[in-house]
Amino acid sequence: MTTLRIRGGHVVDPKSGDDAARDLFVRDGRIVGASVEVDEEIDATGCVVMAGGIDMHTHIGGGKLNLARLLLPEDHRNTVPRPASPLELASCGGCAPGTLVTGYRYVEMGYTAAFEPAMLASNARHTHMEMGDTPILDHGAYVMLGNDELFLEMLARGEDFQRIRDYAGWTINAAKAMGVKVVNPAGISAFKFNQRKLDVDEAHVHWQVTPRQVVQTLARALLELGVPHPLHIHGSNLGVAGNIESTLQTIQALDGLPAHLTHIQFHAYGRDGPKKFSSAALQLAEAVNANPNISIDVGQIMFGQTVTVSGDSMRQHAQSGFASPRKWIGADIENEAGCGVVPFRYREQSYVNALQWVIGLEIFLLVNDPWRVVLTTDHPNGGPFTSYPHLIRLLMDRSFREEQLAKLHPEVAASCALRSITRELSLSEIATMTRAAPARLLGLHDRGHLGVGAAADIVLYRHAADFEAMFSTPEYVFKDGALVARSGRITAMPVGGTHFVAPDYDRAIEKSLRKHFAEHGQVNFDHVAIGHDELCRCCNGGRLLPAACFEGQPT
Amino acid sequence: MTDFARPWTCPFCPLLCDTFGVEAGAGGALALVGSSCPRAGAALAACSATPSAAVPAVEGRPCDLDSAVTAAARLLANSRQPLFGGLATDAAGARALYALACASGAICDGPPALMQGVRALQDRGGFSTTLAELRTRADLVLCFGGLPTLRHPEFLARAGLAADDARLLVLGDGDDRFETAARLAALVEGRAVEGAPAPLAAAAERLKAARYAVLVFETAGLGPHGALLIEMLQRVVATLNRSTRAATLVLSGSDGGNDGGNGGGGGDGAATVNQVFTWLSGLPLRSHAGPHGLEHEPLTFDAERLCADGAVDLLLWVASFGPEPALPQTSLQMSLPRIVIGHPALAAAGADVFIPVATPGIGSDGHLFRTDGAVLMPLHALRPDTLPTVADVLRRLTAALAT
Repeated sequence: MTTLRIRGGHVVDPKSGDDAARDLFVRDGRIVGASVEVDEEIDATGCVVMAGGIDMHTHIGGGKLNLARLLLPEDHRNTVPRPASPLELASCGGCAPGTLVTGYRYVEMGYTAAFEPAMLASNARHTHMEMGDTPILDHGAYVMLGNDELFLEMLARGEDFQRIRDYAGWTINAAKAMGVKVVNPAGISAFKFNQRKLDVDEAHVHWQVTPRQVVQTLARALLELGVPHPLHIHGSNLGVAGNIESTLQTIQALDGLPAHLTHIQFHAYGRDGPKKFSSAALQLAEAVNANPNISIDVGQIMFGQTVTVSGDSMRQHAQSGFASPRKWIGADIENEAGCGVVPFRYREQSYVNALQWVIGLEIFLLVNDPWRVVLTTDHPNGGPFTSYPHLIRLLMDRSFREEQLAKLHPEVAASCALRSITRELSLSEIATMTRAAPARLLGLHDRGHLGVGAAADIVLYRHAADFEAMFSTPEYVFKDGALVARSGRITAMPVGGTHFVAPDYDRAIEKSLRKHFAEHGQVNFDHVAIGHDELCRCCNGGRLLPAACFEGQPT
Repeated sequence: MTDFARPWTCPFCPLLCDTFGVEAGAGGALALVGSSCPRAGAALAACSATPSAAVPAVEGRPCDLDSAVTAAARLLANSRQPLFGGLATDAAGARALYALACASGAICDGPPALMQGVRALQDRGGFSTTLAELRTRADLVLCFGGLPTLRHPEFLARAGLAADDARLLVLGDGDDRFETAARLAALVEGRAVEGAPAPLAAAAERLKAARYAVLVFETAGLGPHGALLIEMLQRVVATLNRSTRAATLVLSGSDGGNDGGNGGGGGDGAATVNQVFTWLSGLPLRSHAGPHGLEHEPLTFDAERLCADGAVDLLLWVASFGPEPALPQTSLQMSLPRIVIGHPALAAAGADVFIPVATPGIGSDGHLFRTDGAVLMPLHALRPDTLPTVADVLRRLTAALAT
């Protein structure tokens, strides 16, 4: 058992509050206390040392991602062709990259875990396989509920809350999920019944339930099941001018229950101004600041080509006319959910796109508590994850931000509130938004920090005035104590682990689920749940990392 | 012999039915219980209830697995441009195949029908649905090109439709499929179509009046310009979705040998391989990792064409579900060196190296994608097997190639 000392680096560890030079010691894949006997030493002088990055909302695997790859061969032809390291297999893609190159690029940037936010229970094996084929990164996924006909039917007939909670618990266990995501609550199902819009208090045309009821029920169910990550909400009316109203109503509907509002930039639009489209970042930030039960990730947009992949078939169908190139894929899936894949090019000279860019940055800079804001582009929906270093520079460097702002549509550049925001995020705030906060929000106690006992996922960034360059290519990346990347080159290829939760629930629910699957399903009930051995095979033999559920109040 | 705590999934067509049983039939073969599906019945009859005694062979001479792997690695190492075809394997086989394809620079291609669907998607996208949605929601099911029951015998049962169901409508089962599809698309768009037959006009009206219409078609039956037909059917769906709801359901099953060996044989391995290659590399089949990085050529990397043009100098054929897919005639005519990793019944295919493998769902566990691409079904071994899996063989081959 060898001990590694990382000597003299500037340790930025928001959980402990460390923000100064100190040594770190690593043994057996873990961070340990100071040791006199050291076998190996790395000189980290001039480096910033952080825990490995954790992306808690990134579409890295599953059916809709693979449809995006199939849809866009032209995007892939233009990307880096050759493996950069002899350990790598060929893999390509810019906005919908192959799983292999996804793992390589994340790790080269200093990320060590990524979470797929929209796994269909019926597509869970496929999703786990793709994540298992994403090298090195630990991974997990949130299973989608709230558009499945069974849940809506139970809600519609006034089924006991306990039974709905048990159904959620069973689904999480069956799909080996890390949490639950609701996408356009009841809206994906409503689209199958030809409803084209669903406000928070509007009834689903068939089941007569409202998004408000769906969100309340699921948020409460997760709390009672003790799932560490609270309900992950992709709200109603994504992308619609004036949707701040829906977002505020959703926060109100939660009535203090913990929840995570995802890619919130897409849900913070007003309808003021000459083009009836405006920033509602201030209103949103005020609501987040006033409601400590709420956390968010931003879903910043980045200019250039990308592809939007979403379970929200209702909204994606509505947006499909903006597809660039002009083609798109949609699907209704297994009485559970749907998907929409719409390629898109964000343009600096588009009023709407420029404002979206501004709104995302305003949200980052107006929310006070970095522990409740996670840095995401909702990869690839706002832009590919490879743009994170650029985004970090925008947040940390006001003059750089001003330079970029000047390139935008002139009306936006001239009038946005962002112009007058002087805040520059600190290294500690960036470390919070990219590792410490996501670890806490997911209930990963031994990740996202550098305290004794934590997993040795460690990144050394060479300090530079250009934060984009600094965060693009760390000098060293360690995963569970093993050196996996050195100056942008992969040096080892361990298989990542799979995070999931296994909440307790009353097994009596399985009797009615068996009946439901026999009548409405197309998979034998005994085939629905994924066992540990099968999960392990799907995930390429990576470690299984069950996260503990809490009892009583979440910590 | 089915372990009922863990139901059997039939691997022999992409519907992947998992509610039937299997028992040891007469003469040591396997027999289907609970269904009269002729495809499953025939495929099971070709599988032995006891482990196979088949052994590998090099140039027709029986040998052990190590010798066969060594001989296959030598052929691969000496090849300037190998072609991997057949691709009838499961997800684990596909994962292992990708590593070998990267190591050897092979071009990989599946059955032509599969690529018709891929090309239509690349050019235009589309809107699809799944079996459970169809069963629950469809008030009109339009089967384009005829009823799909020959290649997918359990389709109507899975869809919850009687053969004479009022919701069922068949179009395009004659020689004028392109004209029918084009006219249908125009009629649904509300354009005047001169000379449109009354039944076609009535079908367009029914589609427009339906709450949730599903257009079902089989890729195997669409012919060489199938991608254009698929685009027209997707146009119908896109038009309908402006005012009502509609979607397509693709049935990707092959003829099981009735289409001259182009089908893909038992199961839908190639569609699964296509999914796995797409997620690993970012690109679908008809790609290879060459000196200029990954290249994807949806037309020129057609296996038949590459064989006929003499553009490849080695064929590695994977067919683990049965004697189909058979090797392409062109590969035999061009006397390409051949490595066959396949069902024991392929021993007579005249390969330079033949390695018999277990059939997923019979001799090994595995995973296959269902026809709608949304569900990855688990397969379970019915009995232990002496034969290695495709993935086992390919991993050994990749290791041998690296030494």
